[in-house]
Amino acid sequence: MGGALPETVDFFSRYRCKLHFVDLFDELPRLAEPALAQDKPLAQHFRELMRIQAGVQFDLCLFWDLFNFLRLDAVAALLNALEPHLHGDTRAHCFAVHSLKTDQSGMVYGIREVDQINLRPRPAMLPGYSPHNQGQLERVLGRFSVTRSVLLAQSRLELLLSANRQT
Amino acid sequence: MIGPSIKIKGEVSGDEDLLIQGKVEGTISLGNNEVVVGESGEVNADIIAKTVRVDGKVKGDITGKESVVISRIGNVRGNITAPRVQLEDGGIFKGSIDMDPGDEAVKKAPQAAVASATIPAPENKAPIRDIKSG
Repeated sequence: MGGALPETVDFFSRYRCKLHFVDLFDELPRLAEPALAQDKPLAQHFRELMRIQAGVQFDLCLFWDLFNFLRLDAVAALLNALEPHLHGDTRAHCFAVHSLKTDQSGMVYGIREVDQINLRPRPAMLPGYSPHNQGQLERVLGRFSVTRSVLLAQSRLELLLSANRQT
Repeated sequence: MIGPSIKIKGEVSGDEDLLIQGKVEGTISLGNNEVVVGESGEVNADIIAKTVRVDGKVKGDITGKESVVISRIGNVRGNITAPRVQLEDGGIFKGSIDMDPGDEAVKKAPQAAVASATIPAPENKAPIRDIKSG
């Protein structure tokens, strides 16, 4: 999730893979409209925004801090829209908060190396900041479950997620 | 070269390099050559070439047999298929990238390593503490 960054493209270009960039951060003002879910379900809005081809399945989903800008019902709808594109070995990564009073990070995230995430300051703060702690997120993760939680500086949380195998 | 005042609707094909500074709508197929979408170029078409460089705007799918470069002033919305893709700082891209680098560069993506990536703790701050696992 998020725009394509040079370091992320460069990192993954070392490997045989396919990347799908969806910048839902750009759509935050529209996603925050209260009337959005009145004409069609939120999940349908996300499907149309993401435009993922049928049959595509992701090995890795990078949400960065997107969940901190979506209401919990929107997080659930987003993951519902992604569900057909997950498999039993799909992993995911996201940032959350330990304290709901944590300020917005104001950063854009990219991958520089296997063990390094690159931070760039955003040109402006994003609207609709409403972070969730791990307990709140776990109730709406759908097929994902938290496999590891790391407390970072400034009360931020880094979560590693795994998709559960369908029975 | 397609100059800045020229507009083309249809199929563009050939056996030489092409610089596009005008508007093209349709398809561009120069499989063994280079296509450059210049700063004032606006392409609403799929592009197939050996190498593609975008300094202008492209709305469409790009197939580069060797490489695709989106420069710092380039803007691409579509899907890219190429063994090597470079996005310069400032360049804009929305869509998917399919990288099939060929024999000498094929590697498996390190899924486990990427999944465990963490931000290094900033200096003079409390170290990262793993408070929960499993």
